[in-house]
This record gives sequence, C-alpha cells and structure tokens, in this order.
Amino acid sequence: MIKILAACGAGINSSHQIKTAIEGEMKKRGYDVKVDAVVVKDINKDMMDQYDIFTPISKTKFSFDINIPLIEAGPILYRIPSMADPVFDELESVIKNLKK
Amino acid sequence: MDAIIKFANSIFQPIIDLGAAPMMFILLTLLAVLMRVKVSKALEGGLKLAIALTGIGAVIDLLTGNFAPALQDFVKSTGIELTITDVGWAPLATITWGSAYTLFFLMILIIVNLALLAMNKTNTLDVDIFNFWHLSITGLLVMFYSDNLFIATMLVIMLGVMKFINADLMKPTFNDLLDMPDSNPTTTTHLNFLLNPFIMLFDKFFEKVLPFLDKYDFDAAWLNEKIGFWGSKFAIGIYLGTFVGLLGQQPVSTIFALAFIGGTALELFSIVGTWFIAAMEPISQGITDFMSKRLKGRTFHIGIDWPFLAARPEMWAAANVIAPIMLFIALILPGNGILPLGGIIAIGLTPALLVVCRGKIIRMILIGTIMIPIFLWSGTAIAPFVTDVATSVGAMPSGIEGGALITHSTLEGPVEKFIAILVGKASDGFNLVPVLTALGALVAYLGLFAWYVKQMKKRNKVYKEEKKAA
Repeated sequence: MIKILAACGAGINSSHQIKTAIEGEMKKRGYDVKVDAVVVKDINKDMMDQYDIFTPISKTKFSFDINIPLIEAGPILYRIPSMADPVFDELESVIKNLKK
Repeated sequence: MDAIIKFANSIFQPIIDLGAAPMMFILLTLLAVLMRVKVSKALEGGLKLAIALTGIGAVIDLLTGNFAPALQDFVKSTGIELTITDVGWAPLATITWGSAYTLFFLMILIIVNLALLAMNKTNTLDVDIFNFWHLSITGLLVMFYSDNLFIATMLVIMLGVMKFINADLMKPTFNDLLDMPDSNPTTTTHLNFLLNPFIMLFDKFFEKVLPFLDKYDFDAAWLNEKIGFWGSKFAIGIYLGTFVGLLGQQPVSTIFALAFIGGTALELFSIVGTWFIAAMEPISQGITDFMSKRLKGRTFHIGIDWPFLAARPEMWAAANVIAPIMLFIALILPGNGILPLGGIIAIGLTPALLVVCRGKIIRMILIGTIMIPIFLWSGTAIAPFVTDVATSVGAMPSGIEGGALITHSTLEGPVEKFIAILVGKASDGFNLVPVLTALGALVAYLGLFAWYVKQMKKRNKVYKEEKKAA
C-alpha cells in the first residue's frame, strides 16, 4: 500500500477534498493508496518520513528537506476533470516508480 | 416576494418542523439531485450533513456544559467578565448550514457569480461552495434584527460582488507569494480578505512612518518548528482549560477535567468538521459541473478556499505569536465578553495579513494585534445571535437554560458583522436615526474599499511592469 500525505491550511477542507479525490481516482486506476490529511503547520520531519508521497495544496516551505516525491495537488480542487487529470497522471507515474 | 415566501412556507413548514438535521438532510439531498448528482452520492452527502449537525451539537454541549460554570467562577474570582464560550469556526459553519436560508443565499450567489462572469465584471468562478456560509451568516444576522429577507439578500449580494472583485484584484499577489505561473488559475473569494482595506491602511502607515521595521523580520519556518506540537489544537485546549480552572479557583480534579475537555473538544470540532466537508462534496461537484458547462470556451480563475496560502510559513508564525497577545487583550479590553479558546489561532485574520503585507512578518504581527479588538468586539456582538441560531437548529440542547452564550472569537468578516447589525436595526421599522447610521457606515465601508481597489490596481501594474522587465 502506498501512503500519501496531503496537507492544507486547516487540515479540514482542502486537504480532505484532495484525500477523497486521490483515493477515489487511484482506486479506479487499480492502486491501493491511503491518504492522510493534516494541517501544514503540524508537519515535521518524523511525520513526513512515514509517507511515500507528499501532496500539498501548493508549494510549501519547511525548515527541513523533503526526501519523498512531492506533487502539488492544488488543481484537484478546481473540480474540473481536464485540470485534475495531469495531477493524477503524475501521481500514477510516481507510484509506478516506487515499485511497491 | 411575499407570495413566494407564503408558498414556500406551506411546503417547507412541515419539513422545518422535523428539526434542523432531518430538514437539511432532505433539502441538501434534493438540491444535489437537482444538480444532477447521482442519487446515492446525493444521499451520502445529505446524511453526512445530518450527522455532522448532530455531532457538533454533542461537542458544543460537552464544551459549554463544563466551561460555562467554570467561567462563572472565573468571573467571580477575577472580576473579569468573560462568560462567552469561544467554540471556533466549525460549530458556526455547521450551525449556519443548518439553516435553510443558507441554501437560498447559496443559489442567489451562484446566479450573481454567473451573471458577473457573463458581463465580464469578474474573472473568477467560485467553486468554494462550503464557504458560502460566511455570507449566509451575515444575511441571517440582518434577519435576526429585522426579519427582512429582501434587505438581507441585498447585503449578501453587495458583499458577494465585492468578494468576486477582490478575488480578481488579489490574483497577481497570489502568483507572487506562491511562485505560481500565470497559467495557474488559483484564487480565492474567501471573506477574510474583505478585511484587506483596513489592514492596508495600517500597512501604508508603517511603510511611510516606520519602514525600518522590516529589517527585524525573522525566519517564520524556523519559529514554527520550534513551537511544534505546543501550538496544536489539543495543546491549546489544555492550556486554556487549565487557565480557566486555575483563575476560577477550581479543585485540582476539575482543573484537569477542564484541561482535557478543552483539548478533546477542540480536536473533536475539527473531526466533525471533516464530516461536514465530506457532506458538501457531492453538491460542490454538482454545482461546479453545472457552472463550468455554462461557461464553455471562456477562461477564468477558480476561487477555492484560502488554505493554498497556508504554504507560507509567515501565516502560521503570525497566528502563533498573535494567540497569546489575543488572550492578553481579551482580559483587558473593555466591552469584550469572550475568553479566546476555539478561535485563538486566528486563521480568519492571518491570510489577509499575509496578502496585504506580502509576508513581512513584523508588520503582520503588529497590524494583526491592532485588528484583534475588532474581532473580539464583533464576536461579542454576535454571541446572542449565534446562540439563538444554534438553539433553533438544535445544536445547543442545554446551554441556553443557564444563559450560556457561544461565539467564534476570530470569525472572518468582523466589520461586515457590524454592518449587518446596523443594516438589520435600520430595517426594523426604518426609523430615521438607525437608517442614517447604517447608510453612513455603508458609505464609509464602500469608500475605503474603493481606495483599496485603487491601491491594488497600482500594485498589480507594478507586477505587470516587473514581468515585462524580466
């Protein structure tokens, strides 16, 4: 199973929309993923290390380096398939490369 | 209008009589089906809204049931009159979505959005359906004072138009702050940014008079890491529970109980909040499909919730620093009745600070501190209204008997709440003095907004020139 970390400002609205969308779409494409949604400010290095992929809402600055693949998931929130699909495609290719 | 309302009442009254949770379950499901959402998805959304309403009621009860008596003792032993429980944003959002008028205001605003897009008066398509509650609560506030749906709708439309204009104006700043290419359509119509004109007044002042302040800006990401879990929801609930317990001279066992109940309630509010987001998911998709189908061939920006700005650490650093300052101000501010708890991390304020000051952290903290009293006064002013709505949607089962009031200390749009109260009072009988007061306030409010629009246009011109030069 691939573990994905989604993040936004309140850990409630945007990141949960991203979570729902990614879990739904990846299941459709035949991948077993689990997405956790958290508040950006609660993320630390220990938390990040437990995940395979990081999907924040937009480019995020941390005081540490991120060692896992990062995909900006913001376009999912536009709710328009032609805009969200590139994000899902990128995610799919990253998952394939992880070879889990 | 009257005939429509009468007709609507004859249909809706039996549904309303079922109570808020069943009513909203039925209405939200029907509306989703109307928007061509699959029936099973529509039902899922409606049912989730019903359990979110029920859940939030249970947590409010847990929090106020334990804090209200302790706050009374706190007042007795300290002489500080802070008796209103600050439940934060999630209960207010849920309560507002528990009112059928919210669906009405939602429909009106969607029509306004489509009309403005068609007339090229805005370039923003708003898909942040969830946050339509911000304007709905403003409309409900007008109706609390006057029962005048027409005036309430007019105010909601006015603020809605301002929000769309503001979303267009802020777009270049978002590109700058988040390093987005021009092709990125992200913007936001969030209500907290209607505070921008007020923040900008002070920002201009600091720029002219105290420009050396910016030299003291520090690394916000570093500060946030140092604060770590000490700034998380449950930790804040624990501090404030302990604080109330100690100053209220409670026995040790009660102090512990208050601390842990505070922590539990703040965590539970956001968990129930996620149910509620999930409830809005099908209808949000349905409405977006509906709107984008009607806008084929037109390019536009897309308005989403503000959290894409959360990527900037200054926003959190400012919120973390402002929290203890707010607690202190709350204790000494005349006319304030709120002890900050659920809303103490001021995310209804710091995104606007970030946009106006563009990440200059010292300015953000200073101006944020100046804005805090407005939020506390506004939160105090709307507490009777919030408590009334909470009771009417069944989210406040026992609190009312003890006279306990609830509110949100940092609810976005504090100035708009005062405008709504003035407009509401003026519409109740249309007497000369309240009408003139409301008109005066509206003129001042719109005047300041016009000045802000001019400033933002200047800012956006500079962005354009910089891009050309690069």
